[in-house]
Amino acid sequence: MRFTVPEKELMFPGHVACPGCGGALAMRLALKALGEKTMVVIPACCWTIIDGPFPMHSLHVPVYHTAFETAAIAASGIKAGLDIQGKKDITVMAWAGDGGTLDIGIQALSGAAERNDDIIYTCYDNEAYMNTGIQRSSATPKGAWTTTTPEKTPKLEPKKNIAEIMIAHRIPYVATATLSYPEDLINKFKKAKSIKGTKFIHVLAPCPTGWKMAPDLMIKVCRLAVETKIFPIYECENGINYTINIMPKNIIPVSEYLKVQGRFSHLREKDLLEIQKTAEQEWELLLAKSRWQLAINK
Amino acid sequence: MNKVITGNHAVSYGAQLARSQVIAAYPITPQTQVVELLSEFCASGKLNAKFIKVESEHSAMAACLAASAAGARAFTATSAHGLALMHEMLHWAAGARLPVVLANINRAMGPGWSVWTDQNDSLSQRDLGWIQLYCESNQEVLDTTIQAFKIAEKVLLPVMIILDAFVLSHTSEPVDIPEQELVDKFLPPYDLKTKLDLANPKSYGALTNPDHYYEMRYKIAKAQSESLKVIKEVDLDFYEHFGRKYGIVETYRCDDAKVILVTSGTITGTARTIINEMRERGRKVGLLKQKLFRPTPFEELRSILYKAQKIAVIDRNISFGHSGIFAQEIKSALYGLAGAPPIFDYIIGIGGRDVTPDDIREIIDNTFKTEAPQEPIIWRGVRL
Amino acid sequence: MKWLEKYKISPPVLEKESDYPDWAISLVPTLLNRTGTWRIFRPIYENKVPPCNNECPTNEKIQGYFDYVKQGKLLDAYKLILEDNPFPSITGRVCYHPCEGVCNRKDYDESLAIHCVERYIGDWGIKHVPFAKPREKRKETVAIIGSGPAGMAAAYYLTLDGFNVTIFERKTKLGGMLRYGIPAYRLPKKILDSEFKKLTALGVKFKVNCAIGKDITLDSLRKSYDYIIIGHGAHKNRPLGIPNENAAGVFSGLEFLFQINSGKKPKIRKKVAIIGGGNTAIDAARSSLRLGSIPTILYRRTRTEMPAVPDEVDAAEKEGIKIEFLVAPVKVKATKKGKVTGIELIKMKLGKPDASGRRRPVPVEKSNFVLKFNNIISAIGEQVDLSMLSKDIEKSEWGVKADNIGRTNIPNVFAVGDCVTGPKTVVEAFGAGKRAALKILGETDKIKFKAEMRNAGEASMNQRPVKFTDLNLDYFEHANKIPGPEIQVAARKKNCKEVHTGYNKAMFKQETERCFSCGVCNKCDNCFVLCPDLSVLKDAGDYEFDYDYCKGCGVCARECPRYAITMLEESKVEVE
Repeated sequence: MRFTVPEKELMFPGHVACPGCGGALAMRLALKALGEKTMVVIPACCWTIIDGPFPMHSLHVPVYHTAFETAAIAASGIKAGLDIQGKKDITVMAWAGDGGTLDIGIQALSGAAERNDDIIYTCYDNEAYMNTGIQRSSATPKGAWTTTTPEKTPKLEPKKNIAEIMIAHRIPYVATATLSYPEDLINKFKKAKSIKGTKFIHVLAPCPTGWKMAPDLMIKVCRLAVETKIFPIYECENGINYTINIMPKNIIPVSEYLKVQGRFSHLREKDLLEIQKTAEQEWELLLAKSRWQLAINK
Repeated sequence: MNKVITGNHAVSYGAQLARSQVIAAYPITPQTQVVELLSEFCASGKLNAKFIKVESEHSAMAACLAASAAGARAFTATSAHGLALMHEMLHWAAGARLPVVLANINRAMGPGWSVWTDQNDSLSQRDLGWIQLYCESNQEVLDTTIQAFKIAEKVLLPVMIILDAFVLSHTSEPVDIPEQELVDKFLPPYDLKTKLDLANPKSYGALTNPDHYYEMRYKIAKAQSESLKVIKEVDLDFYEHFGRKYGIVETYRCDDAKVILVTSGTITGTARTIINEMRERGRKVGLLKQKLFRPTPFEELRSILYKAQKIAVIDRNISFGHSGIFAQEIKSALYGLAGAPPIFDYIIGIGGRDVTPDDIREIIDNTFKTEAPQEPIIWRGVRL
Repeated sequence: MKWLEKYKISPPVLEKESDYPDWAISLVPTLLNRTGTWRIFRPIYENKVPPCNNECPTNEKIQGYFDYVKQGKLLDAYKLILEDNPFPSITGRVCYHPCEGVCNRKDYDESLAIHCVERYIGDWGIKHVPFAKPREKRKETVAIIGSGPAGMAAAYYLTLDGFNVTIFERKTKLGGMLRYGIPAYRLPKKILDSEFKKLTALGVKFKVNCAIGKDITLDSLRKSYDYIIIGHGAHKNRPLGIPNENAAGVFSGLEFLFQINSGKKPKIRKKVAIIGGGNTAIDAARSSLRLGSIPTILYRRTRTEMPAVPDEVDAAEKEGIKIEFLVAPVKVKATKKGKVTGIELIKMKLGKPDASGRRRPVPVEKSNFVLKFNNIISAIGEQVDLSMLSKDIEKSEWGVKADNIGRTNIPNVFAVGDCVTGPKTVVEAFGAGKRAALKILGETDKIKFKAEMRNAGEASMNQRPVKFTDLNLDYFEHANKIPGPEIQVAARKKNCKEVHTGYNKAMFKQETERCFSCGVCNKCDNCFVLCPDLSVLKDAGDYEFDYDYCKGCGVCARECPRYAITMLEESKVEVE
């Protein structure tokens, strides 16, 4: 098995991501897929810092930094500005963290999706407000430790399912991806680029710092998330046609994924059972959706 | 072409004639007609623009800034709570040196909900680096809207045009709507030198540490103070094209005035008739209309107001814990000048309470009668 | 090319107002920021020892030739094998493939069928690749005693580098055990002859029908040749040591096979007993089956202790040959005229291990019984004939005394193969012959051994063979071994057709794809694709770390499927 990815780099090293940062690799791969005619919008998130302080930049495409909640609308604004100048072949991508997407940014995202603005919105999800020091967001999974959900009171609420929320908007394309499947991730960005309208890609981007694990396990933990069915890799077109892209082959319990990360080290047996059950439930639901054929479409 | 139009529609025509390219707006009373007419213009093709029907004012400004950075002329309009919601992005606009134009309909802030006019909403944003221009008539609104784009794009600062809710926004007046060709001669196409450019990929607005941030802020401040010259030039330039000029302040019968009344917005119109009436009766009273609020026209304020014996400032606003805002600014402009006249700060018309001719008369009379102001704030018309 | 070689970056000057952009618009890439200073560990590309290479008695670069095959470079694969083993068509057929026993794939699904792949390449090579000629011309002369595998391998390497070699063979045809021991259904004579052509092409001279000690003495050879290599193998049959063992109808295993492999038909009847558990016994049993007999193997221990190659035992059983375990011969039953009628056996049980590590068999008292047989073939092991050895050459318990490079106590006399070790395998003989040749050539740096043999105590990390737990299996799909095709058992009766027909092209390709390439980078690009810091540079297919930026996260090392990247502590690295 050999990964084939486009050769050209549109990112420079010397950026200030932590060693083993999933978000850094995600951007590198996404830009390989999208190519040079791309502009990126970055709201407040880790990438605000990773890009490098003034006077440096880390990407070889224009980057427009914007306020926290405005990633989606800033991307829409740029796209409108380019379109009206006749520059219609430039891809505009909003690149936001989970906080800037699921919490403070969800209004603008929903607005853009409802208008079907022609942008790619990528949420690189490290499952907490990592940039500000590992505080919980609505993307933090149930049971996880963060600085605002300490071990005595870990997060009790389940992770908000942003992919399904975007699917409910019936936008042309929603997909999930992660770094252990780089070709799948690249294909999805390429596909998004070719579609007009709002495209949403949810990338699971582990944060070794915040997930409390050794940085070299970053890719492994992505793979485990998928194989334990905690983070299914799938896509949905027009909010109706589901395709599961990666079918986990072996039955691996969620504990395999959870035990690698210090942020779950306090979990007890009954917590593991609950997480297992939820993962299986969600998987079953997804599987059913992927198999469903609408009578009207036959 | 002469047409009887409302203040809101004057804004719409201004934005259309200026060939706005991206409009992002969210409806709020009393701004709605601005965007409704612009929508019609876009639909009919009279205006070739992208109209983004955003889901909040915060997004409206974010969209305009992004579009402006991308190389398109951007415009929006809002009022009161919408402007307040935009606050974060209004900071961003000036910090990003983006020449967006915003028309604000001065409306009182809730709670309780009020749709009627006062100036608190726009004046709350006075520190951010926006140029603020207050208008008296629908003609002035249209003309200032067109000028605003030219000013903004020359100095690279955002510009706010301000008009009173209902009194101007919903009031029809005859307006001379200029021809498109003439406006095109006056206002060249948008050309931001530092726009997002694939050939020159850069990061815009990144983390800036204390080593560099200070210098950038200094540059904003400098741009603000240097814009005074540009605003005056653009006004004259406009006059050359269209035959109308307004100045950054307008003096009306101030030459030998003992008392100068300072007004802004539609109160100016009412005040003019009272000045004339009082002059008829031999009262030496004059009127200074302050059109440009930011940057503060220090020189003009000093040279004009210094000559009077007393200054009566009409503030349709209040800075809680201090005083009326125009008055504060004028006091600080005259500070240190030996022999500067006393300044009376009259608060009136908050929340859209009508400012009548009698109110103006009483204010002027009171100023003449009183040696020096007894209190920092003189509340007019509070029914308690 | 390193990033800072490709891009020339200098820090921007921000002193005057005009130096500053109007707002925070960047001026220079983050290349200015050398994040390499963050490192605590640094990755290095460091190939490790594949277990197959390590285990092979000739240290073939098995991983290497598999990699060539995956790249479609069949010629390079063949040449790579020949660097260590000149005769892959032989080993691909008869080697006991210890490599497969340590192949890490066995812990994942099934070990690679390395010998099937090697055979395919060997056969292809014989067909398509011209035989090598000597690389230079030298004056030295070498006499090699025995044309078996040990002598063959030594002759190949010596003549390749220009030495003048003469092989003395006492039999009429060449090959030793390869021809006269191993039957044609395992190693066709045609293949053996083709392999010998390699030696002829290199100018090896052969003197057949020439027995040392009889037709010519070792001492006279020592006078006329610069070097002697003794490789006459172990060809003395070990006697059973029981009454009537010389009755008519009793054969020695070696003699039986010699006749068959010379094209003769030994006189045997229906019921044949073969005593022994080694390859000779199995060969004899399967050969007698093909002559129409019903053979039974009698072995004194159990299947686990049988020294024969397990594949061979399986083959014998598949062909329907019965094996009686835990029985030992007591007496050959014969008529008064001395003709075999059967054999008296005693049952055995396993006691404590003996010197070989195998549990020693102990007779069960009063358990004697008799089985009827027409013929008995005795194949309980071979011994070395030392009668021709010069007096001054030291002997050991097994045969000629020599170290694992083949050195005897006499500086220019070497001894290799079974004549040193007692009966062992073809591949071990190839390895021994090669090492002696390299020693004679003075190329001692090319002499390789198993990693564990090199250092007393634990081999250092980059020298010990790669373990299964070193690998990252996430990148490999499960796939079972492609079995080597065989002709049906029914088709094997009464002929010596080669049982294994060999892979076809599709099977060959499919099986080679299963190789993990343990420890050796095969340019899969994982490190390049997965580096978040763009610090893995690819230049014309080669990889390099850019230490100006590498933060030492270790993702590359972890995601290398084959353990070809090592993380070193930065504090222990000497900086240039």
